[in-house]
Amino acid sequence: MGMSEYQNKIYAIKTTAKQERTVADNIERLIREQSDIHVVAVIVPEELKGYVLVESPGSIARIEQLVEMIPHARAVVRGATALSEVEHFLVPKPVVSGITEGTIVEIIAGPFKGEKAVVKRIDVGKEEITVELYESMVPIPITVRGDSVRVVERSEEAG
Amino acid sequence: MRRKQIRVCRECHRVVEGEACTICGTANLSEDWAGYLVVIDPEHSEIAQKLRITLPGRYALKVR
Repeated sequence: MGMSEYQNKIYAIKTTAKQERTVADNIERLIREQSDIHVVAVIVPEELKGYVLVESPGSIARIEQLVEMIPHARAVVRGATALSEVEHFLVPKPVVSGITEGTIVEIIAGPFKGEKAVVKRIDVGKEEITVELYESMVPIPITVRGDSVRVVERSEEAG
Repeated sequence: MRRKQIRVCRECHRVVEGEACTICGTANLSEDWAGYLVVIDPEHSEIAQKLRITLPGRYALKVR
């Protein structure tokens, strides 16, 4: 097959809220049962609520046909896009990106919910950050998941 | 929450039913993952090629 250039397009399908994965599974089942509509992959990005993205060599008319047959799939967004436009969904950004040492964060989950804290250390691989609570007399380091904090104020050097 | 019960392989990101990944054979599974990808035809999918996925199946985009 070699380095052949595919002409696949990416279409966005609007779905019922929280049914994104069900829609993806149903598309797979339907595609396997018939041979008129070609879809090679379905992406359900975490960041894109209420949509699934399908990769297909076919026309939008075919995808519209597909949507008619899939429960919880509502409509195809007009127009197609290229893979390069949606590539960033495939490699999600680590949740700790944008957080540096000295960043002031608010803890939004767990026993320290609501507390403000200063970031002391970041573990990008584990997506964990170690913070010290702002209002505590003694500096006690607490390690929390990167997605359980909200940035309140960035440190100077981060701008 | 349905998601909490579904586990994925930490090695190949494949959604796993049961105690071990059928492809990797590892029991190194994670319940903490995000983003979902269904690969139907890996040979003709640019997405699958980009992610070096060669087998059809259901995958997580991000595994912790």
